[in-house]
Amino acid sequence: MVPTSYYIILSAALFAIGVLGVLIRRNALVVFMSVELMLNAANLALVAFARERLSIDGQVLVFFVITVAAAEVAVGLALLVAIFRTRHTTDVDEVSTLRG
Amino acid sequence: MEWFIWLIPLLPFIGFLLNVFAIRRERPAGLVASGLVAASFVVTVIASAALSGLPEEEQRIMSVSWHWINTGALQVPFGIMLDPLTAVMALLVTGVGALIHIYSIGYMHGDPRVVRYFAYLNLFITMMLFLVMGNNMLMLFLGWEGVGLCSFLLIGFWFERAEASDAAVKAFVVNRIGDAAFILGMLAIYASFGTLNFYPVSVGGQLQPGFLERVPEIIGRTVGPTWQPFALTTLISFLLLIGATGKSAQFPLFVWLPDAMAGPTPVSALIHAATMVTGGVYMMTRNEALFAASPATQSWVLWIGALTAFIAGTSAIAQWDIKRVLAYSTVSQLGFMVAACGMGAYVAAIFHLLTHGIFKALLFLGAGSVIHGTHETQDMRKMGGLRKAMPTTYWTYLVGAGALAGIAPLAGFWSKDEILAHALSHDHWPPLIILFLTSLITAFYMGRQVALIFFGQQRDSHYHPHESGRVMTVPLIVLAIGAIIGGAINLPWGHWLTDWLKPVLHEEAGTFNLALALIATAGAVGMSYLGWWIYTRNAARIKVGGKDPAYRYSGDIWDGLEEAWYLDRLYQRAIVRPFQRLGSFLAGVFDPQGIDGLVLGVGVLFGRAGEQVRRFQSGYVRTYALIFTVGVVIVLGFVLVFSR
Repeated sequence: MVPTSYYIILSAALFAIGVLGVLIRRNALVVFMSVELMLNAANLALVAFARERLSIDGQVLVFFVITVAAAEVAVGLALLVAIFRTRHTTDVDEVSTLRG
Repeated sequence: MEWFIWLIPLLPFIGFLLNVFAIRRERPAGLVASGLVAASFVVTVIASAALSGLPEEEQRIMSVSWHWINTGALQVPFGIMLDPLTAVMALLVTGVGALIHIYSIGYMHGDPRVVRYFAYLNLFITMMLFLVMGNNMLMLFLGWEGVGLCSFLLIGFWFERAEASDAAVKAFVVNRIGDAAFILGMLAIYASFGTLNFYPVSVGGQLQPGFLERVPEIIGRTVGPTWQPFALTTLISFLLLIGATGKSAQFPLFVWLPDAMAGPTPVSALIHAATMVTGGVYMMTRNEALFAASPATQSWVLWIGALTAFIAGTSAIAQWDIKRVLAYSTVSQLGFMVAACGMGAYVAAIFHLLTHGIFKALLFLGAGSVIHGTHETQDMRKMGGLRKAMPTTYWTYLVGAGALAGIAPLAGFWSKDEILAHALSHDHWPPLIILFLTSLITAFYMGRQVALIFFGQQRDSHYHPHESGRVMTVPLIVLAIGAIIGGAINLPWGHWLTDWLKPVLHEEAGTFNLALALIATAGAVGMSYLGWWIYTRNAARIKVGGKDPAYRYSGDIWDGLEEAWYLDRLYQRAIVRPFQRLGSFLAGVFDPQGIDGLVLGVGVLFGRAGEQVRRFQSGYVRTYALIFTVGVVIVLGFVLVFSR
């Protein structure tokens, strides 16, 4: 059996790459993709632990996560389309009018 | 029947109310005011006669009208009393007061606010009567403050004149210093005895104790730090002394009285010669038991009195204004009275108070007559030769001047001589010498004044002098008669006043020293003549703006005397100006910048803090994301580290 720690390390690496993507990239679509990456990294960790403990609970939780991710993508893309229609840009730095 | 004595202060008070609310025209104002004070005088005479009929131990009529302060520990009745000391003071106040009211009818004729004047004058008489008739310290203080108020109102009566309103404020402020000490003294009396009543009085059926007969209980008690204890009696009496210093214009608080001459002359006669300023002497005499229990304070009293007499007497020599001479003279004679109190010669002090009240009022009213007759001239350098044009004024003024100088057998001689004789028989040599010199100086400046006003040629022809009307000269004549026969109250072989005051003051009559009396009279006559002689001889050299003829004998000391030993200037430099600078600093700098800065600063502080906090809201999503990523890391870190 492949040691669980390999999966966890992979998951952590994926999660870190996702976080960096959210913080660094300016294109809104790339930010969404990075968020998806973070969610999938979490899924991977959950499945790995489920396999280790021989318990189905982890995989059930993954179902929830996938569903939520899908809903979130729908809403997020709708927002992005709405913003693009008024501002004609997908650069997250450009939507900073809500400033103090 | 005790309520009868309430009429004495009540009648002038009714006059005050009528003048304030009901009367609008000059004639009824003067008549009502004078009539009510004269009626009060009559009631006082009747009450005093009734008092004399009582046996000596019972010569004290008390009457309480309501229970003023009723708070368990502090009980103060609103009550008055009539005992021998009160009776003589009340007779002086109402008698001389009535004459001055009548005189004012003539003097203030035509003044636009004359009704208000009579209202104030009546209020003053009421308050002065409360002062002398009060049966506890708080009633005395009520009257004390009341006469201070009326003094302020009357000095500043012609308030359009800056000097008058300034003088009124000065009088009030300087008096206040004394009043602060007086209040502290009252507190000390209350703390020591638990009561402010002079004698036991029955209030609402309950007998309240008095403190004057219980003074021996506190002799020996000390207060203060262990390395400098003060006798309790010394503390109380010293505070009361400072209070009397303010009200009775003693050194160093006499500076208000010469400036108070800016008020109408009858006011100067009543308030600043006969009655209000004697309030301090009365208060010290009433509290004689306290002062007698404190020899330390008594020596202070004696020296303050003697020095004041000397300083003021010398200042009076160099004055050119007719009323300022009399003002300094009043301060000087008050010094005599206070010195007499300091020697324990309270009967002599009261005797001098009474005679001085009569002849000083006479002199002031005479001065008023001169001022009116010379068309408002007050500078003596512009007068001269008025005895032909104003004979009644001249003769009555001469009687007053002689009484003040102490020429036998006028009233002032007997009272002043009694003070000097007491000093001599009790071996108070330094004060005796100071007071004796002062009486010589007194005679000198009165001779000077009489010469400058009434002798020689008229030096200023801008006015046509005329005698005053009868309503003004008749009070002068009455007072002159009083000045002539007034000495009879306490002749060395009759002692009528000493006996009358025995139930209160328990004094024995002093011995009459013929040698002293002769020397004093000879000195008085000689110095008066010298004063008269110098100023009639050099009359031609007197003109406005020029120097006094005596200048060549005295040199620059003369300027010092004219400025009353520069005491006013000292106060101006040392006290008034720093206060004004402090005031303008507080108003101009501390208040707008400091206080307002503090209050506004709180707002500004929050504004600036808000601006700093604002910088976090950049609007950049990525910044927000970074911040909560960092937050998550920190929280997770905590959880991981601390959950071991």
